Order: sequence, then C-alpha cells, then structure tokens
Amino acid sequence: MNAPRNFAGYAWAVVATAASTAAALAMASRFDLVNIAMVYLLAVVVIALRFSYGPAILASITSVAALDYLFVPPRGHFSVDDAQYLLTFVIVLVVALVISHLVENVRRQAKAQSALEVEAETERIRSTLLASISHDLRTPLAVIVGASSSLAESGERLSAEDRHALAGSVFAQASALTEHVAKVLQMTRFETGTIDLDREWTTVNEIAGSVLGRLKERMATHRLIVDLPTDLPLVRVDAGLVEQALGNLLENGATHTAPGTVIRLSAQRNEDELVVSVVDYGDGLPDGDVEQLFAKFHPHPAGGTGSGMGLGLAICRAIARLHGGRVWAERVPGGGAAFRLALPIEKAPVVPEENYAA
Amino acid sequence: MTEPRPTILVVEDEPEIRRFLRASLGAEGYRVVESATGRRGVIDAGTHKPDLVIVDLGLPDLDGIEVVKRIREWSPVPILILSARIHERSKVEALDAGADDYVTKPFGMGELLARVRVALRHAARSRVGTSILEFENATVDLERRTATRDGKDVRLTPIEFRLLTCLAKHLGMVVTHGQLLGEVWGPTHRNDTHYVRIYMKQLREKLEKDPVRPRHLVTELGVGYRLMTDE
Repeated sequence: MNAPRNFAGYAWAVVATAASTAAALAMASRFDLVNIAMVYLLAVVVIALRFSYGPAILASITSVAALDYLFVPPRGHFSVDDAQYLLTFVIVLVVALVISHLVENVRRQAKAQSALEVEAETERIRSTLLASISHDLRTPLAVIVGASSSLAESGERLSAEDRHALAGSVFAQASALTEHVAKVLQMTRFETGTIDLDREWTTVNEIAGSVLGRLKERMATHRLIVDLPTDLPLVRVDAGLVEQALGNLLENGATHTAPGTVIRLSAQRNEDELVVSVVDYGDGLPDGDVEQLFAKFHPHPAGGTGSGMGLGLAICRAIARLHGGRVWAERVPGGGAAFRLALPIEKAPVVPEENYAA
Repeated sequence: MTEPRPTILVVEDEPEIRRFLRASLGAEGYRVVESATGRRGVIDAGTHKPDLVIVDLGLPDLDGIEVVKRIREWSPVPILILSARIHERSKVEALDAGADDYVTKPFGMGELLARVRVALRHAARSRVGTSILEFENATVDLERRTATRDGKDVRLTPIEFRLLTCLAKHLGMVVTHGQLLGEVWGPTHRNDTHYVRIYMKQLREKLEKDPVRPRHLVTELGVGYRLMTDE
C-alpha cells in the first residue's frame, strides 16, 4: 500500500467518525445508546473494508472516544460509569481489527491469484509460440536447408526433374516462411502500437478483388462464392490492412474445412456498419467460447500447417479494432461457421456527376 | 542473334541479391551491369546506357528515390524498384518520382522477369503507341473513342476515356492514384482518391467480365492500378 493512499485512509477515518458523530447527535434524543454505538460501528466497518489496519484502528479509537465523550454518561468526560461500556469499546475495536484482517487477506489472495493468472497466460502463450515456431518455422527451414544443400552439393548428379522439384520446394517453403514471419512481425507491431493507419476512401469490392487475386491459388481447393453488391457505400479504411484481415478470414475458412467445401464471401450494409462475411459450410466452430478463437496463438484443433501460427484471427481483430470496427464468429445453423468483419460507415464525400456528351 | 542483348543495370547493395539477379537475368539472355551503391548506379546509368534499371529502395549511401530522380533528370529509361515491406510509402514516392514499376521483396524471379519484360516492351512500344485495348469480351478504341462489349456499343464518359488513356500509356505497369488524379482531374485533385475509386468501379462494371475479380483493371492496393490486356 502506498503512502498517499494510506494518508487518504487516515483522513477518511476522521471524516467517517465526524459523520457518525453528526448522525449520532441528530439521533441522540430518540434512540438508545446501543443504537448510537451501532452508527459508530458502521463507520468503523466501512473504513476497515475500504482501507488497511491503520485507518481502521484510528477509526475505532476516534469513534470510541467520541462515543464516550459525547454520549456515555457522564457526558463531557472520558471516564466511564458502567463497566458494560468498556465491553462496547473492546467489541468495536475487535470488529475493526477482524474486518481489516479479513479484507487484507482477501486482497492479498486476489493479488497473488491475478499474478498467477498473468504468469500462467504468459507461459501458455510462450509455450504455444515455441511449439508453433518448432512446427511452422522449423519444418520449412528443414526443407530449405535440406533441399538447397542437395542442389549445392550434388546438383550435377541429380536428374533435371529432381533439381526442378527441389528448387520448387525451396521456393514454396521459403514463401510460406515469409508469410509466417510477416504475421509475427505484424502482430508485434500491433502490440507495440507502431502501426499508423493510412486511411483512404475505398470500396470493399476493390479490396475483395485484390485479396481474391492474391489468394487465387490458396483458395483453389474450395468452391468460392462471391456475393458483393455493387452499390455498397465507400469506407474510409487502410485498404492494405483490411485486405489482410479479409485474406486471413478466407484462409482460415480454407484451412478449417475440407477441400471442395463452399466458402461464401459477401458484404452488406447494416445500419451504420458495413459487414463483410466469410461463411463456410464445414464442421462449424469448436465447443466453448468462440471469442477465444481470436486470441493470440489460439491453438488450432486441426493442427495443420499454413495456419500462420494461430495469428490470423488475432490480426483480424487488431485490424478491426484499429478501424473502430469489430470481428466476430457465429455458428451457422445446419453446420458451418460465419466470420464477420464490421467496419464503420462514415459520410462519404461526393463525386461530381458527369455527362456522356463528349 | 540479330538484335543486341538488352542491358539491365542492377543498383543493389546486397551482394547475395545481386548474385541471383545476375544469374537469372543472365540466363534469360540479358546483359547485366551491377552497381553496389546509389551514386555508382547514377554514374553507370550514364556510361552504360542500359535498356532498363533495377533500383533497390534501401541503399545505404543514397536514397533509392533520389537515384530515380537523378536518372529521370536526363533519361526516359524504364526503372523498376525493389522495395521491402517497410518501404510502403517510399515505394509510392519513387513511382511518383518517375519509376515505372515495382516488385516487393522477397520476390520470386518469375514475378521480376514478368515486370522486366513488360517494361522493356513498353519502352519499345511507346514510340509506336497503343490505342486499341482488348479486354476479355470488350474492346476499347481510345483514338476513335468507342467501346464495345459482346459486339454491342458501350458508352464511356470523357473521364472514363481519359482514365483508360492514362493507364494505357503505361500498359502493364502500375500507375499511382496520384498520377491518375493529377493527369485526369488535374493537380488540385491529387488527394481525392475517392474519385478514382468510383470511376474504376464504373469502368470495371462496363468492361470486365467479372467486375469483382478484375483481370484487366487490376488494383495495386495502396499504390494504384495496372491495366493488363490480352496479348
């Protein structure tokens, strides 16, 4: 407990006693001494709950002193006529100490608990990261080192076909590695807050066109249905980042459903939001909290490679938040999952009308 | 070989990158000249008179953008930029300064060679000019200002024609938003990117078979557009 807070506690102890005294004076003519003592006891309990031992003890002493001086006969003196009032003092003091003690214990436990939880979470992330690194990074590296060393050391003795295949796997694995590393760096940049949004008015159709071009091969395994109305409003976004978010949602769909499954990309206006949806018709979402899917390094039930180390959806969420939007997952009736990205719609600037007459 | 081999100047400080560029470009029949610094590159561009220059944006001695500017002061030679992801903004700056196209590191040779071929072809063609644009199922005649789709006339607005003309001047190569806005709407509109978005959407709806997955009016996100025709 720090010094200013302690000081505030003592100050509040005095204030509480003064307030009780004011209340007690108002009650004095109509209530018994026992009830007046209860008013002081209440003040002591409140201080004990709110602050540590020190202020609680101070509150007990000032309360008992005020009670004695103002209300216990003989009034106007600190002496006590009846032994039973001594018992009152002792009880008030004990109550204050017991409550302070309990509160302090609870506080300490909560602190220890949350420290433990943070540590456990950090540990979980670290171990998942390490596991992912060992899989998603080490596997491509092993292929690259192996295949390229074969080429370097026995290139001439290999058949042209083998040389071609080995060089091809070096290229493919290095490209995958590049993607992985880019995602990790991207996430790091989100977390350190070193990303500036480069916002411009643009259409979701254009962003979708760009991502569909980029992921043409990746999505070729699935049946992609694109349903984008042409009259959607402009949005003011960082097109590169939104493209990435959309790409991650599509890749996520392709990773978690069987080849040949339908994946549907659509968009619609929903009041002041533009909602882009990627709906798949696979096995649906895992049991439990779907929000967990967007956690960093969320382990994939499917395990497989190309998952971007469980960062894809976390990056989506970071991008959505940066834009004042949101991203969430829903279960689709009849099986399947819907991932939706909502972007705020602002009032778009007008483009002057033009005539055909040339 | 009747025609002389095209000469490509590579301005790149990383020896390992120069090594594979030299090997691949050489294998494709180009003569390769290498400069390890920006200053050297500017001088080599003058002495070797290359047909194409490849400039890395992250040079240690002289900003890649500066290299582009200095070469552009006296030469129309096509310039390709090699940019890393961290150079997103300077990439656009270099294109606006006169570079013709870019490739983002890490890149595959297939992508770079395609850009090299387009740029060299462009340099040869710009003496002749292109006025007929062939799309998947549409044709635009920029000179006569007519357009047809599936044999039927399509009406394009004057701005739409101007946009296509501007893109066609750099056929196959990227044109930045700023360049399009400046050339079509005028220098005061260089920041009105929503103009060009709306017009590109219209053009795609009129000319592309599948406007959502354009094959000809291609988006280069955060940079500009690229017109690709069937050849």
